[in-house]
Amino acid sequence: MSFPEKCKEAILAGDLNLSKNLAQKAIADKLDINATIDTFSLAIREAGDLFEEGEFFLPELMRSAEAMKAAMTIFEPIISEGKENRLLGRVVIGTIEGDIHDIGKTLVASMLSAEGFDVHDLGADVPISKFIDKALEINADIICISALLTTTMIGQKRLIDTLKERNVRDKFKVLIGGAPVSKKWTKEIGADGTAENAVSAVKLAKNLLGL
Amino acid sequence: MVLLDGAMGSLLINQGLPPGTPPDMWNVSNPEKVQNIHQEYFNAGSDVVLTNTFGSSRLKLMAHKHGSSIEDYNRKAVENARKVCPEKGSIAGDIGPSGVFLPPVGHGTIEGFEVNFLEQAEILAKAGVDLFFIETMVDLKEAEAAVRAVKQNSKVPIFASISYQKTKRGYFTIMGNSVEECINSLQDLEVDAVGANCTIGSNEMIELISEIKQYTDLPIIAKPNAGKPQLVKGKTVYQATPVDFAKDIKQMIENGARIVGGCCGSNPEFIKEINKLIRR
Repeated sequence: MSFPEKCKEAILAGDLNLSKNLAQKAIADKLDINATIDTFSLAIREAGDLFEEGEFFLPELMRSAEAMKAAMTIFEPIISEGKENRLLGRVVIGTIEGDIHDIGKTLVASMLSAEGFDVHDLGADVPISKFIDKALEINADIICISALLTTTMIGQKRLIDTLKERNVRDKFKVLIGGAPVSKKWTKEIGADGTAENAVSAVKLAKNLLGL
Repeated sequence: MVLLDGAMGSLLINQGLPPGTPPDMWNVSNPEKVQNIHQEYFNAGSDVVLTNTFGSSRLKLMAHKHGSSIEDYNRKAVENARKVCPEKGSIAGDIGPSGVFLPPVGHGTIEGFEVNFLEQAEILAKAGVDLFFIETMVDLKEAEAAVRAVKQNSKVPIFASISYQKTKRGYFTIMGNSVEECINSLQDLEVDAVGANCTIGSNEMIELISEIKQYTDLPIIAKPNAGKPQLVKGKTVYQATPVDFAKDIKQMIENGARIVGGCCGSNPEFIKEINKLIRR
């Protein structure tokens, strides 16, 4: 099996140790780090495709994302030295106050992070002010806010209204998610987008940042 | 044929339950409202109503910071249903998912599930439910833990219902459990009825019931959502009408369902329509 094939295998099998070892080997053998990360990225995208096809489910996709993150952790020191600039963007993500559903949000966070976003996951039941304060603190590009209930969805509108009140709406792209969220609702409250699932969410995030 | 009830939480929200508050809290703070909803379902034709305890396991209540109320919420829930239950009616102790996931998705454990459901099942059993309704499970392992926990506490019948989504390859739970795998495992645990609820609407559940029928001779539960929720002018609206919903239910009965009712977005009108179709 060639090195890229092994990388793909590690991600699709969700093998954290193997993907770490391969990342270390790439550094030790002085391989092109950008090319190696691209190889891993292709694999995680394939995992995403398998998820959309109903071949992968939540556990498989999570494990692949974790394996990707494990490899990225090895590359991080090199990336942060500025030698290889791979950071796609900074994201603040969480589930709105009053809503304790966090599985969809966690999956989106994992996939974004696996693709190379710097993701700050605030968890579930998060007040609006905390989203905004954190986004300002880390100079985020995107705020992702999840709501699984129609009763808590209104918090997505409150986030956008509050961003406007604080005159910082233009600083961030706002993505909204959750089972009851529709394109119509997205438009109605003036959010920048929504996606059907975690895989499309990553594509959308990249599109919005022009990547 | 057994006619179940429909949604509880959304009706409580219509009556003023604040967003983010666990509906189970109203078993204690607004018992008459919970009783009224049970009463409406019995009036509509329900043979069985589910206690308002979907989220009343400790793990779920803890996420809402209501963990210490577990005993009160469950006991009062049974009292509320019992108060309005007609002679021929039955009360099912409702058990929903813990909200915790096993690795790699979350940090839960099977032992943790069992402890969680043992506690809730014990309170419900003591309070005197006529059967248990384990529902909306998206991980077969969690459903199994709930069944085992109930079995340790009670000899009343157990209905076990799984939540499936429709993928390009057919029906699976979000954790990837197939219909066959779920039915076989629940049958091995000797539950008294198996089936499906939540996640999908009535039109999508018709085909699923046929698939379930291939794997079991047990009575089959069908409890779909009333379509997908939409927020229209600040109000939650579900797409399905009671008449269309009831027609779909009739089709599911033809496909093998024997225990039918409504999940999210349904209300007593839906139950009335089903009652009209199946009791003529």
